[in-house]
Amino acid sequence: MSAVSGSDTPAISCQNVWQVFGENADSALKQALSQHASADEVSAALRAQGLVPAVQDANFDVKEGELFVIMGLSGSGKSTLIRCISQLLPASNGEIRIEGEDIVSASKARLIELRRKTLGMVFQHFGLFPHMTVAENVAYPLKVQGVKKKARLAKAKEVIDLVDLGGREDRFPRELSGGQRQRVGIARSLVADCSVWFLDEPFSALDPLIRRQLQDEFLDIQAKLKTTIVFITHDINEALKLADRIAIMRDGKIVQIGTPADIVLNPVDDYVREFSKDVAKGRHAKVASVMQDPEHHHYGADDPGLRRDMTLDAALARCMDLYEPVPVRCAAGKLVGVINPSDLAAALQVETEQ
Amino acid sequence: MSRTGLASLSKGSLAALGAVIVGAVCLLLEGLLPWLTTFPKDWVLPATEAVGAGVKSGLTFLKPAARLFSTLMAYPMEAMNSVLASVPWPLLIAATVALGWRLGGIKMAAMAAIGLGLVLASGYWPQGMNTLALVAVSVPLALVVGAGIGILANEFPRLRGPVQALLDVMQTVPTFAYLTPLLVLFGFGPVVGLIASAIYAAPPMARNVLLGLQRVEPEVKEAAVMAGGTRFQQLFQVEIPAAKVQIMVGVNQCLMAALSMVIIAAVIGGFNDIGWEVLLTMRKAQFGPAMLAGAVIVIFAILIDRMSATLAQERRQLWDGRVSLAILALGALVSLLFWSRIGDPGSYQMLTPVADGLDSWLTDFTRSNAEALNSFKNGVMFYVLLPLRIGLDQAILPFTWGFQWTPAMSLWVFAAAAVAAVALALRGQLTLGLVVLVAAGILETGVSQLPWPFVLVGAAALSWVAGGPRLAMLSLVLLVTILVSGLWERALLSLYLSGAAVFACAVLGGGIGLLSAVSPMAWRLVRPICDMLQTIPLFVFLIPVLMVFQIGEFSAFLAIIAYAVVPMIRYTRQGLISTPDEMIEAATASGATRWQMMRDVRAPYAAPTILLGLNQTILYAFAMLVIAALIGTTGLGQSIYLALGQADVGLGISAGAAMAILALIADRIVQGFAEERKRALGL
Repeated sequence: MSAVSGSDTPAISCQNVWQVFGENADSALKQALSQHASADEVSAALRAQGLVPAVQDANFDVKEGELFVIMGLSGSGKSTLIRCISQLLPASNGEIRIEGEDIVSASKARLIELRRKTLGMVFQHFGLFPHMTVAENVAYPLKVQGVKKKARLAKAKEVIDLVDLGGREDRFPRELSGGQRQRVGIARSLVADCSVWFLDEPFSALDPLIRRQLQDEFLDIQAKLKTTIVFITHDINEALKLADRIAIMRDGKIVQIGTPADIVLNPVDDYVREFSKDVAKGRHAKVASVMQDPEHHHYGADDPGLRRDMTLDAALARCMDLYEPVPVRCAAGKLVGVINPSDLAAALQVETEQ
Repeated sequence: MSRTGLASLSKGSLAALGAVIVGAVCLLLEGLLPWLTTFPKDWVLPATEAVGAGVKSGLTFLKPAARLFSTLMAYPMEAMNSVLASVPWPLLIAATVALGWRLGGIKMAAMAAIGLGLVLASGYWPQGMNTLALVAVSVPLALVVGAGIGILANEFPRLRGPVQALLDVMQTVPTFAYLTPLLVLFGFGPVVGLIASAIYAAPPMARNVLLGLQRVEPEVKEAAVMAGGTRFQQLFQVEIPAAKVQIMVGVNQCLMAALSMVIIAAVIGGFNDIGWEVLLTMRKAQFGPAMLAGAVIVIFAILIDRMSATLAQERRQLWDGRVSLAILALGALVSLLFWSRIGDPGSYQMLTPVADGLDSWLTDFTRSNAEALNSFKNGVMFYVLLPLRIGLDQAILPFTWGFQWTPAMSLWVFAAAAVAAVALALRGQLTLGLVVLVAAGILETGVSQLPWPFVLVGAAALSWVAGGPRLAMLSLVLLVTILVSGLWERALLSLYLSGAAVFACAVLGGGIGLLSAVSPMAWRLVRPICDMLQTIPLFVFLIPVLMVFQIGEFSAFLAIIAYAVVPMIRYTRQGLISTPDEMIEAATASGATRWQMMRDVRAPYAAPTILLGLNQTILYAFAMLVIAALIGTTGLGQSIYLALGQADVGLGISAGAAMAILALIADRIVQGFAEERKRALGL
């Protein structure tokens, strides 16, 4: 919005990122890109050759400190996309920048350097080293950097305490429960003080109770560390609970990027709508998303005290017996919008009418 | 209708029909065109000579380097030899027992103590130590080479195809076959055995290293990448340790292969080791000492196998090291105290009376039961093996079967087969009917006298059914290579003997496997026997059959069966018992009886596994066939053995290659069927 300055450089920036699998995929992609204008045509051309465009023309920026969730069903390309960004897979095409630095053309040595200092990653099935103890697992990113044993174990102890695994340092991964294993995975990814954190469905392999507990702890850690996060999930509730912004993927394409409220209230198509169908909308959408401009709309005498950051549920509870439009104010009491109670009710019922 | 008539036939029927037609044409024209049955001599290309000359000139080129290597290898060998020879035996036994304790507790320690005690008592201690010295030098060599190959193949995916092919060749080419070129390269002496055993033992290591590295979970590998490890750090700090269990399986197989090969290599050298001892005593028909020396080999094999197998356990525990140290100290103390009185370990021949007793008992036994043994042997020879080899028309003679085979009888056989075939075809089992016809033809003619066009077409047709046109092409080209190299007759002889043995193994092993699957009691009995048979080096199988049935094809036949039956038993049982529980429950709920369940549910589900067992059995049979040439078989094995004696590189390599070709084709065909069954079951 404002003029470009150093601090506005996005932490992660993806431009026209493609990942195509199959024989001679890269050259086929190059050719298709030069022949067709739209991404859909390019994908169709690639599919016609028997290739699999797993990620198609992904474009997005992630701001520093933002928690960006990529959501989609299995096979939608979300795991492939995160592997492109972390360079576990070299992308077929496109530009990927991390903190302004082009990492597609980065040298091997520079990539190793980046992974040691900047990037951290957590895996769905934990990816723990079976032959190392908890402490050794967590300290491994420091070991490859050549940190002395005493120093790295001391640092590992700190992170192990952060994820609440103190006292289990000498256990082996096979001796831990699923939830504990993922805590080790989280600790390991944090030990080198990364500033960009990738989490690939970190809680999907856990049972629901443990999952919720780890989500809460994860939010606590995030509040403490303020790292930039790319988080993959197939669970819409998890996405809505954690995300600053959500990107929804389908068949390799990002179909919508928006805040949780955007996704719930203004789904771009049936696919996204289908996702948010089971979501209690009133708990995620805010008043701000349905209110109207106060300049052009009148409101009645009643003032139930609506705030722009209230959820729809909370707002509706205050307007139960009101029929006239009511004012919405900011925290300081200034008028920021007008809302008609019937619009509130209608917004909550969008999906049931469909 | 007539156009679709041929097209509507299944692949199998089509292939069988082709074989029947070619076979029939060959039979009919046999009299007119004799070149159909015997491949004319002047069509043979001088391939063997060419290969010999080519390889020889190549070898001369390499010779200086090889001789240098051989001289270099002599140092560690002699060093190892003198170490093992000069360390007092109480210390050596103590060290082994201590190691046994550390790896497997009291059981393993006792096994080591008893085993080595027996070796000492046998009087073959020095020879045993010489063999172990060879193993001790060849195994590190094989481990390093194998691990190197495995890691390289893992790092450079493009190398994987060629490396797999190379490993296949290294393991299917019979061991004797590459002894000949090695002999020319390195000259006589124990170094040849050393290198041969390293070549033979490296592939299992390479395979397991590659397999282990590939099986490391992708996320574990990615975690190492994301931790910022260099490729070197990823490989040595994460991937190799994570693949440890599989790699240890490789170490175990490598050790066993090296031991087996070191003993076989005794055939070429008068190096005073235990394999040579067995060979010598066998040649002199001293079966007591031969048994004793064989027992020493078996003890070594079991100790090495069981101890190294503990390394490959998923979660192994180490036993108290202090006990090990105490045992070691005790051994050292005993050695010091009785230093002057220990004497030559070769002089303890306490078991000689046992061996002699065994020898004389055996002699008495064979003498007093000569009639029964002979009639058993002759029965199998005259009524089974010989007809299979030269056909009913020549095998049935008045003095064996009591009557003379006449052409009319041949016609009757064919007529009966034709009736059966038509009956089967009418019941919708056309393929089976055609196979009956083919079988009748083979039985009438004899495997070793089959017309070559029939063998080519038959093999190609079978390959086509099993693996499609590419496999058919491969089989055809490879078989034609054998044909024009002039080794055809010998190849058919080998095919006949291994075929007969594999068939016997399939029936016997299938039966025992079935029994073991049904009755846990039977398995408890069969299992240790299987373990034992699989641990014993190839060579040792020859001793008992030779003692009872003397030199000849029949002894070789039995030795092959004894060695090759094990995988058939194991895989059959494994396949039959691994039916998923839900399928069993579904069948039970449908009211199936035990045998209906076996026939309709378990057996079809087990088919791919059983086929893999058959595949292993075939490869084992080919491996043993060559070793069995030592006790008198004809065919390729004999040629390889002769080539070894005459240092005839051309013959050795060609015959070895022909053997490998037969094994390879059989392997691919059976694997093809197994794959097809797997696909059909959706596995």
